[in-house]
Order: sequence, then C-alpha cells, then structure tokens
Amino acid sequence: MKHGQVKIQQMAFMLIAVTLFLALVLIFILVIKFSGLKEGARELEERNAMLLVSRLANSPEFSCEESFGKNKINCIDADKLMMLKENAGKYEDFWGVPNIEVRKIFPKIESEKICTLNSYPDCNIIRLLSKNVGGFDASNFVILCRKDTYEGEPYDKCEIAKIMVSYS
Amino acid sequence: MKNKRGALDISFAWLFAIIVGGFILFLAVYAAIKLIGTEQTVQDAKTGKEIGVLLNPLETSFESGKTSLLTMPVETRIYNKCNNQGTFGRQIIQVSQKSFSKWTETNINVGFSNKYLFSEGYAEGKKFYLFSKPFEFPFKVADLIYVTSSEDKYCFIDAPEEIFGELEDLKQENIFLANCSTGVKICFSGGSGCKVNVNYNAKYVEKNGERIYFEGDSLMYAAIFSDKEIYECQLKRLMQRIEQLTLLYRDKANFVSRVGCDSNLNSDLMQLNTLAKNLKGSEEIYNLKNVAEDIEYKNDLAKCRIW
Repeated sequence: MKHGQVKIQQMAFMLIAVTLFLALVLIFILVIKFSGLKEGARELEERNAMLLVSRLANSPEFSCEESFGKNKINCIDADKLMMLKENAGKYEDFWGVPNIEVRKIFPKIESEKICTLNSYPDCNIIRLLSKNVGGFDASNFVILCRKDTYEGEPYDKCEIAKIMVSYS
Repeated sequence: MKNKRGALDISFAWLFAIIVGGFILFLAVYAAIKLIGTEQTVQDAKTGKEIGVLLNPLETSFESGKTSLLTMPVETRIYNKCNNQGTFGRQIIQVSQKSFSKWTETNINVGFSNKYLFSEGYAEGKKFYLFSKPFEFPFKVADLIYVTSSEDKYCFIDAPEEIFGELEDLKQENIFLANCSTGVKICFSGGSGCKVNVNYNAKYVEKNGERIYFEGDSLMYAAIFSDKEIYECQLKRLMQRIEQLTLLYRDKANFVSRVGCDSNLNSDLMQLNTLAKNLKGSEEIYNLKNVAEDIEYKNDLAKCRIW
C-alpha cells in the first residue's frame, strides 16, 4: 500500500470516529433533555393536582351550592357525587386527572368501605374516577353533606372529609 | 513543464477531508437547528399547559368575580380555540413566543374540557389579565374566564351601576370606567367612536357589525371580550355542560326522594336539557331563559333545594 493510501485510510477512520463521537454526544444531549422533559411534565401534573384539589369542591358537579343552607365554601354534596359516580364514564377526561376520591374522616368508620348505591350512606369512600394509578395524590379538607331522614322528616347531615386527586 | 498543476494544488486527501468534514459540519448544524426548533415547540406546549394549570385557582365559590395577573418572561401570543366534539367539547390553547424577533410557529394544541376562555383570536403581550365570573343558568354551570393583554385598554362608557361597581372593585389596570382617548370604547348608551355597543336591556352586544346575544352579566362580558366565533362555540360548550348538569340534578332529585325530599323539578329539568341540546346560536338563548327562571323559582320553593 502506498503512503498516500495509508493517509487516506487513516483520515477515513478518523472521520468515522469523529462522526460516531458527535452522534454519541447528540444522543447524550437528547437523553438529558428528555429526562428533563419527563420531570417537567411530572411537576406540572403535581401542580395541577394541588391547584385543582383546592378548588374542585366549588365546581358545579361537586358543590353543595345552597342545598344545605347558604354560604358553605368547600362543601361537597354527597348525594350529587353518588349520582355523578354512576355516570363517571362521561367525566373520565373532564378534570384531566386519573383518580378523584372523597374520604370521610369524621366521624370515623374503622374499616374502609367503598360507597355504592347499596352501601350508601354507611360507607366512607366515594371513588369517583378510579383508573388504577400507583402514583401520588394531593388532598384538601372539605365538608361532605347529604340529606338524611329522622322520623320520616329529611334533614341535612354534614361530616368532615378529605378530597384526594391522584397523579402519576 | 515539470510541475503544471495550477493554483488549486489540493491533494486527494485534503479534498476528501474537506468534503466529509463539510458534510459532518452540515449534519451538526442541521441537528442543532432541529433541536432548537423542538425546544421551542416543547416550550410552547409547556407554557400552554402551565397557563391551563394556573387557571384552576380562578374557580369561584361565592365571589361574583375575581381577577389575576399572568406574567410571561417573553412576548407571548395566547391563541384561543374551541371545539364542540365529545360530551363537553374542548378548550384549546396554543402558545407562540417571540424568539430572535420572530414568533415561533405553533401547532401544538393543549386541550381542557373544564375551562371556558373568552378572548379575541389571540391575546398578545407579556402581561395578561385573567378575570373570571360564574355563569349561572339557573344553577352554576361554569366559571367563564376573560383573557386580555395589559397592552389592550378597554373603556366602559355609561356602564350600568352594578357593572360599574363590579369593574371598579376588580381594579384591573387595563379597564377604564370613563371616556379615554385610546383603547376599545365599550358604550352602553351609544355615542361616537364606539367599537362595541352594548344594549343592556335588549341583551345584545354589537361589534364588527355583528350582533351577539347574552343572558346575565357573565355572558355579557364574554360577548364584549371575545370574537363572535369563539363566543358562539363556547356558548354551545356551556349548553353541553348544562345538558349534563340537568341530568345530574334530575338523578339527584330522584335519589333524595328516598328520604322524603320531593322537588317536582324533573320535567322542567328535562325541558331545559332539550333546549340546551338544540340551541343553534346565541339568538336562541332567550328561549332558555324563561325555563331557567321557572326552574329557579321551583327550586327555591322546594322542600329540599336540589342546588
């Protein structure tokens, strides 16, 4: 092999090495960039859940409005929520979160009992949306009110609960 | 004539290195440009989502309205789009930001089903005012959010007392309650140079030669601050939500009747449901108003209020 040919071969190898190096650098940059993107998306979801949970009780689908007297802030109408749960399919993407549930915390019920039309109101968890997520949640304290009956007459019964919004 | 290779005395090795090196440099520059473009798109999408997230605190409880300020780090355009597909339709936000004196091209849609924004086709600036007000018909349907840039001034001339008071309380810096030399003039009793004319008694707003009908103050602001196209689309979305809420309240009314709570609202709620479903445009909203008022009256007198 002539000296010139060896030089060209050396240069070709060198250029291939430089190209590979640049490609690796590019891949490295992309990996860092996309991991940052994932982290950013998670932070946004977390912030969304925190801000949403603080206001969700006042949205029309949850709010007591004036069913249990005037000026109740952060009050959830349990009867309405049970009906909403029955039609939850329509609301799957409405709030942009995979799971919303309301847990009664006072008066305390020892075991966890998910509310259905049969078990209501002797239950303590109303699970509205329940896509299975093993993620995190944001929560807020609320008043949970419903209509109950005493000696045939309806009355308002309000308890303390926690509304929880999950995010992955 | 021993050495006659001329001025371009380049060996093959050099030529090879220049061509391949040039190609590598071209690839590197191309990749860098693509990366910057992707970064801008990501930034636009992220900003759109962030705006949506920041709209959550604008949900009102018993307030008649609230305002907040959104400040962006660079000049931004917030495009407001809407569609009526699906059960609730979608609020679409697109964001374009100024980069190297040019607006980034945007086609990333960030969508929300539970938000209702009213603005012109796009709002441009660094500071944006977000003013929200509940829409009740007769129950609370949603919070309407009016987006305006701090660069756009609005002058409300001869506004009725309650509107005047409300706007005064808001203390939004781009809203003026007297005649002003620059800015959009919104006249409640006619006059010259009015870009928007509001007929508060006949319940319509005239702008750009078109008439937009409203019921209630929240829809009046919506008609003032937004394009007709956006207003009509969002009004249909609000009707879609009314449709679902009437079903929810009907179900609730039946459910609470087991504890002796009778309300006799079912047929009226279903009438409102049908009217909301069939609404073609804002000019028909008056037909719903009477039914909504009847329902409100009956709910007030019911043994147990449904909302």
